[in-house]
Amino acid sequence: MPTAAHPIRRRQPFVGAGFKPVRSVRLRFRFALFRRVPIRALLTASLLLLALACKGGVAGEVPELENRALQLNKTIMCPVCPGESIDQSQNALAVQMRGIVADKLVEGWTEKQVQDFFVERYGPSVLLEPPRSGIDLMAWIIPPLAVLIAGVVMLLVLKWMTKPDPQRSEAEESELTDDERNQYFQRIEAALDTEASRRDERPPA
Amino acid sequence: MIVDAGQIALALAFIVSGYVVLASFLGVTRRVPELVVSGRYGLYSVPVLLLVATLALIYAFVNNDFSVKYVAENSSLGMPRAYVWVAFYAGNAGSMLFLGVVFALMAVATVASLRGRLPYTAPYATGVLAIVLTFFLGVMVFLANPFARLAVVPMDGQGINPLLVHFGMFIHPPVQMAGLISVALPFSIAIGALLAGKGGADEWVDLGRIWGMISWVILTLGLLLGAWWAYTILGWGGYWAWDPVENSALMPWLAMTAFVHSIMVQKRRGMFRMWNMVIIIIGFTMAQLGMFINRGGPVPSVHSFAESTMGWLFLMAMAVTLFGSVAAFIWRLDTLRSRGRLESMLSRESGFLAQNVLFLAVAFVTLWGTVYPIFSEVANDVVVTVGRPFFDRVNGPLLLGIVFLMGVGPLLPWRRATPRGLAMTLRIPAITAIATGIGLAILGVRQPAALVAFMTCAIVVAGILHEWHRGAKARRRRDVNPVVAFYNLLMANRPRYGGYVVHLSIIMLVAGATASSFYSTQRDFAMSPGQTETLGRYTFTYTGSRHESYSDREEAYAQFEVFVGDKYVGVMEALRADYPTFNIASTRGAIRSTPLEDFYIVPSEFRDGGEAVFRVLINPMVWWMWASGPLLVLGTLFSLTPHRQPSLASLRIPASAGTARA
Repeated sequence: MPTAAHPIRRRQPFVGAGFKPVRSVRLRFRFALFRRVPIRALLTASLLLLALACKGGVAGEVPELENRALQLNKTIMCPVCPGESIDQSQNALAVQMRGIVADKLVEGWTEKQVQDFFVERYGPSVLLEPPRSGIDLMAWIIPPLAVLIAGVVMLLVLKWMTKPDPQRSEAEESELTDDERNQYFQRIEAALDTEASRRDERPPA
Repeated sequence: MIVDAGQIALALAFIVSGYVVLASFLGVTRRVPELVVSGRYGLYSVPVLLLVATLALIYAFVNNDFSVKYVAENSSLGMPRAYVWVAFYAGNAGSMLFLGVVFALMAVATVASLRGRLPYTAPYATGVLAIVLTFFLGVMVFLANPFARLAVVPMDGQGINPLLVHFGMFIHPPVQMAGLISVALPFSIAIGALLAGKGGADEWVDLGRIWGMISWVILTLGLLLGAWWAYTILGWGGYWAWDPVENSALMPWLAMTAFVHSIMVQKRRGMFRMWNMVIIIIGFTMAQLGMFINRGGPVPSVHSFAESTMGWLFLMAMAVTLFGSVAAFIWRLDTLRSRGRLESMLSRESGFLAQNVLFLAVAFVTLWGTVYPIFSEVANDVVVTVGRPFFDRVNGPLLLGIVFLMGVGPLLPWRRATPRGLAMTLRIPAITAIATGIGLAILGVRQPAALVAFMTCAIVVAGILHEWHRGAKARRRRDVNPVVAFYNLLMANRPRYGGYVVHLSIIMLVAGATASSFYSTQRDFAMSPGQTETLGRYTFTYTGSRHESYSDREEAYAQFEVFVGDKYVGVMEALRADYPTFNIASTRGAIRSTPLEDFYIVPSEFRDGGEAVFRVLINPMVWWMWASGPLLVLGTLFSLTPHRQPSLASLRIPASAGTARA
């Protein structure tokens, strides 16, 4: 039985990029809605948001001084427990050092002064991050530098990879002529049809 | 004697595995199929021999045979019997045996999966796997023999490090070790294909990807379990401290994450062939570095449980592997030319490359921070520490970049994207992100870094959900029921949709980590029994403590009655155990976990006279981090389920296209 005898079951022919489903009217309306939200407005909104964000801080559940001590504890190593800060460690020395930190802050010392106090006694390794001066500046500079170089190299490689290679591009184009491409689409269409008819095997009312 | 049988089985396994190396390589280079087959069956026999050895060691543990040095060092009569299993891999020799067995089993599964599918690659891959196995067995036979005897048999053993006596220890170390060694599986397939000159033919890609993902999921689980263990037992309320050993387990995970993504480009487009080889070589090198740092590396760490001088042997093995695989790579470089050409700088392919670069950048920063103290000591003669503040500051932005790419990358089409088209697809995620940002800012999330992180998460989630919605809607032209449509959509491209599930679980992890690192509240309270304190919404009364003495430890349990607002939520009990012989305290926090936040109490000190010091924390959204684990495994398994589609890269349109249909 020829397909044309069933106008209702007839599907829109698949013609590649020109294919437009009937429902696109609604879709186009919806996209138009989004198109009216300009990118610039989005950017402004997010900047405003960030500005708003910078004004805020953590809600004060914990007294200011205690919170400062806590943050400071996290930057000081426990000298006798491998790889733990005094905030983490359960060691007696760490407990004692936490006490010193709290006391000094109450006395009005700054964070830097407390850190220096411990560096004097235990050496620079008592701080959890390397100093940002002298040769140790390298610890800080190398990572961003490496990331930058990697990014540039990546872009250069991508550029080189996209450069048209005359021999290869010809070969690639000859791989598929327009005719073959159409046949390919026909095949897809056919496969879809078979699948659809297999699903619609229920007898028509 | 059963222990002697173990000894013999171990030695035999070593000899057989050495034979497999010779037979596989000689068989394939001299074209003697019989040798190749005998090598394969030789490999199949190794796990059997190692299981015999394992059973012998377990037998020695169960019977408290302290004449075996390893048992005497890692077990004691007073130890809970269940922890014999932990003691089995608590020390050096035992963990080597454990690694050996697990690796041998996985190697057999790998070789069995290669057989028939990759006939040229399989013998080389078998040989490479056998080299790794021989190394481990050799170390065990000659340096760290778990069956070595003591001249004088002690009355009692020494027992294990008390920090290891925790339920998490049943799972985390073995999974982590298995994860590190499992990187050798995709590595051997890749190097096997390379050696066979088939690195450019993309058949190895399917199996390489499958074993790569298996390795990836084991590594991920190992890391998650480790974090969970740290959270519940180390008693500082955190789960990740950028400790050298944590870092050394993270680095191979980063490399493997890069690998399971970039391999997709080769699978789909026949490109990045050299790059995939490079990444898997980096991955295996990192895994070996991880084992080296764990086995008595040069950096102090909380993980220094199984230290030994053996570490340097691992470093040498790493150098040899790196040198060998780079040599093989250069030798076979001409077989690795890409088939396709990159059509546009803006495409799924380039998105994958950018993702890879970011992951390797995080791995590099982590490596740099981990080894910098050694470097500084040598160059500057000053010991410095590189710890959490450094990594948070340097890796934080990079990780955020990765999450952003996770949102944008999957929306990029293969081959070629236009900026306009990208802007169109990104519209909904961008609007969602901004709405999320505004909503969170109104709710009080005001720290810029946290806000940006949450908004980036929103981009990813919106992108995935929108994609699912669009796909399911397109399907509904055929499947009327939306659930059926969604199901059919997922089944149609399992690697893709399984990947999305994994992405969602990673977002759960990222959101949990962000919330808990930016908005954790912590306070120390000195409390006498009967005293009541308040932190946030929680009001808690310290009702008293209960003390128990054991031969090796003093345990103190502190009980609390806890209210959320006015609602009574029950009794919480925190434990602190002091081990005088080890001079170590182990704590187990009392945790009330809800999706919103964890309420966490850990005792830091019991003073005379009943007063005690407690550290109390409110950690938001940590629940999501642990919940992401099962979802992540499910997503991975889903994307691994066999599907009959061959790789697109190996598909060709036949000349008779279109006419083939009858």
